[in-house]
Amino acid sequence: MNSLPADIVLRVDRLRTHFELGSRVAKSVDDVSFDVKRGETVAVVGESGSGKSVTSLSIMRLLSPPGRIVGGQILYRAGDGRVLDVAAVSQKEMRRIRGREIAMIFQEPMTSLNPLYTVGDQIVEMIRLHEPLPKQEARKRARRMLELVEIPAAERRLDEYPHQMSGGMRQRAMIALALSCNPKLLIADEPTTALDVTIQAQILDLLRRLQAEIGMSILFITHNLGVVADIAHEVVVMYAGRVVEQASSQRLFERQKHPYARGLLACIPDASRDRTPSGERLRLNPIPGNVPSVMALPKGCSFAPRCPLRIPRCEEDPPLLVAEPHHLSRCWRHDEL
Amino acid sequence: MTDSDILLRVENLSKHFPTKSGSVKAVDGVTFDVKRGTIVGLVGESGSGKTTVGRCTLRLIEPSGGRLIFDGKDLVSLSDREMRSYRRRMQIVFQDPYSSLNPRMRVEEIIGEAIDTHRLARGSARRERISELLARVGLDPEHGRRYPHEFSGGQRQRIGIARALAVEPEFIVADEPVSALDVSVQAQVLNLIQDLQQSFGLTMLFIAHDLSVVEYLCDEVVVMYLGRVMERGPSRTVYAMPRHPYTQALLSAAPVPNPKAHRQRVILQGDIPSPMNPPTGCVFRTRCPFAIDACAEVIPPLDPVAPGHYAACIRRDDPAVLSQGKRL
Ligand SMILES: Nc1ncnc2c1ncn2[C@@H]1O[C@H](COP(=O)(O)OP(=O)(O)OP(=O)(O)O)[C@@H](O)[C@H]1O
Ligand SMILES: Nc1ncnc2c1ncn2[C@@H]1O[C@H](COP(=O)(O)OP(=O)(O)OP(=O)(O)O)[C@@H](O)[C@H]1O
Ligand code: SF4
Ligand SMILES: [Mg+2]
Ligand SMILES: [Mg+2]
Repeated sequence: MNSLPADIVLRVDRLRTHFELGSRVAKSVDDVSFDVKRGETVAVVGESGSGKSVTSLSIMRLLSPPGRIVGGQILYRAGDGRVLDVAAVSQKEMRRIRGREIAMIFQEPMTSLNPLYTVGDQIVEMIRLHEPLPKQEARKRARRMLELVEIPAAERRLDEYPHQMSGGMRQRAMIALALSCNPKLLIADEPTTALDVTIQAQILDLLRRLQAEIGMSILFITHNLGVVADIAHEVVVMYAGRVVEQASSQRLFERQKHPYARGLLACIPDASRDRTPSGERLRLNPIPGNVPSVMALPKGCSFAPRCPLRIPRCEEDPPLLVAEPHHLSRCWRHDEL
Repeated sequence: MTDSDILLRVENLSKHFPTKSGSVKAVDGVTFDVKRGTIVGLVGESGSGKTTVGRCTLRLIEPSGGRLIFDGKDLVSLSDREMRSYRRRMQIVFQDPYSSLNPRMRVEEIIGEAIDTHRLARGSARRERISELLARVGLDPEHGRRYPHEFSGGQRQRIGIARALAVEPEFIVADEPVSALDVSVQAQVLNLIQDLQQSFGLTMLFIAHDLSVVEYLCDEVVVMYLGRVMERGPSRTVYAMPRHPYTQALLSAAPVPNPKAHRQRVILQGDIPSPMNPPTGCVFRTRCPFAIDACAEVIPPLDPVAPGHYAACIRRDDPAVLSQGKRL
C-alpha cells in the first residue's frame, strides 16, 4: 500500500525518465524527487533542456516513445483518498485522473484548444466528460469559468473559436478549460513564456487568486527566475536532468547552496548591482560554457565543467544533501556557500 | 549637444502596411535620436512596432513617411545606388540565431559573403579577416569549417554578430539578439556586445522586451506602444522616474528575481488593441489606469519632462501619475 503524509498531494520520488535512441540513452530525468503540498505552488526552474517538461509529461503520463519512465514513483493522492503510483497505474485509470484531478496548461494554448470547436463547446464537453450535467447547466458553468479567468463578455466569447481571440485571451481560455473540472493539481508548463509582461502579470495574478479561491496545488514550470520569485512557495532547481537545489522561495533567493543557482542569479542583469552609482556598466558574470547534453553527461557532478568551485572530489557524483533544514543541494561544497 | 554627436535621427517615421482588411499602422510618427557611441534600447510589447522601426532605419523595408538622418544625410531620399555605400556602415543582428544563418553554408562562407559583397578583402587577407572575426566573438577559427547546426544557440548568435561586424559597420540594429538564449549564455553575449561597442566605438539600436537587460545595457531607452513612442530618455532617469503610465505599468509588471520586491503592481486590464484600428487620441487610453475623457480627444505630443526625457501623456504632471512613477 502506498501512503503519503496528509498535507502532500504529489510526491515525485527518485523519478527517472529516459529516451533510448538506438545505442544511446538520453537521461532526461534522472533521480528527481520533490513534494507538492496542498494549496502550494512549487516551481521547477532550469535552463533549456534541463528536463522540466519531461518531468511534467511523466507526471501526466503523456510521454511519447521512446520516452519511458524507467525508475521511481509518482505518488498522487486521488480525490477518493487512495494514494496511487501514477507511474504504474493503467492508461484507463490515468485518463480518469487527467483533466479531472490533474490538469495541465502549456506555453502554446493551441496544444490544448481545438481550432475546430468553439471555446464554449470545448469547456462544456470537458465538464460533461467528468460530470453528468444537462447541456444548459454545463454551459452556465462554462460561462462562469470564462468569467473566473476574467474574459470580458463571457457569454459572447463562449461562441467564439480560438483563432478569434488574442494571445492573452486564448491563454486564459486554456486556463478556464483546464480548471473547468476543479483539478486538485494544476501543472503549468511555461504558461506565460510567450506572453508580454503585462499579460504575464495578469495571468500570474489570476493563478494566485484562483489558487486562493479553489485551494488547488500548482506545479509551475519556468526558466524565468523572476516569475519563480513572483509565484512560488517552494523552488526546485534542475540542471541536466537532476534536481541540484531545493528550498522555499524566500530561502533560495536569499542564499543559494549550489554554485549553479548562485551563478544563475549572478548573471541576470540587475542595474542596481551591475552599474556603478555614476552609471558605468560593470561586466556581467556569466556561467562559462554551455549546458551539457543529457546524452553525454560529464562524469561526477554534471555542473563540474562550468563550476568555479570544482575540486577533485567533484569527479564523484554528489547526492542531494541536506545543506540546511529544508534546503537541499547536490554539491560537495554546499557548506562553503 | 551638437548635431554631429548624433549618428542617427529618426524623425516622424511611419510605416503603414496595406492588407486586405485595411492598413496596419505599424509605426506612426516615431522620433528619436541615437548619439554616436551609445546604445539605445527600444522596448514595448509584441506588435508595438520595434522590428518595423529597426528594419526601416536600415531601409530593409521602405518607410511610408518621415526622415532618417544618418550622419547628416537623409537616407530616405537616397537612390538604391547611393544607399549601397551606407549599407556597409549599418548592419543588423537578428533574434533567431537558428533561422538567420543559411544552414547549407559553412560559417566561413557566411562571414566571407559579407566581406565579398563589399569587396573588403581577398585571398589570404580575407581568410585572416575571418579568423580574426571568429576569435573576436569568442569562437575558435577552426569553427569556420563547420555548419550552423553544429553550434549551440549562443554560439550561433556569436556567428550572427561576427557576420555583422565583418563589414566594419558604425551602426548596428540588434533585434532581440539575446531573447532566445538561456540566461547563462545571454550574459556571455551581453558581455561580448559591450566589449565590441567599446573597442569599435559602435553605435547600437538594441531591440528587446526584457526591461532589466535594457536598464543594464542601454544609455537611452525608447518605449513604444502601438506604433508610437510613449516615453524616451536616459535609461537611468526613465527607470528611476517613469512619467508615462504605460512605462510605469511595464516596469511594475516585469518580474524580478527577488520575492521581497513587493512592488506596487499595476495590473493592466485587457489586451493591446489592433493596430488596424487603434484608439483615437492616446493609443494607450483603453488600458490606462489614469485615462480621462480628454485622452480620446488629442494625440498627446512627446513633450520634454526633464533634460533629454520626453513623455507623451496629457496627465504626466498630474500628482496621481507622478506618485505612481515614484512608487516603483
Ligand atoms: N522525444 C525526445 N527524444 C529524445 N530526447 C528528448 C525527447 N524529448 C526530450 N528529450 C531530451 O530530454 C532533455 C530534457 O528535455 P525537456 O523538454 O524536459 O527540457 P526543458 O527543461 O523542458 O527545456 P525547455 O526550457 O527548452 O522547454 C533534453 O535534452 C531533450 O533533448
Ligand atoms: N509585412 C507586414 N504586413 C502587415 N502587417 C505587418 C507586417 N509586418 C509587421 N506588421 C504588423 O505591424 C505591427 C508591428 O510589428 P513589429 O513586428 O514591428 O512589432 P514588434 O514590436 O517587433 O513585435 P515583437 O515583439 O512581437 O517582435 C504588428 O501589428 C504586425 O502585425
Ligand atoms: S559538486 Fe563540485 S563541481 Fe559540482 S557544483 Fe559543487 S563544487 Fe561545483
Ligand atoms: Mg520545456
Ligand atoms: Mg520584433
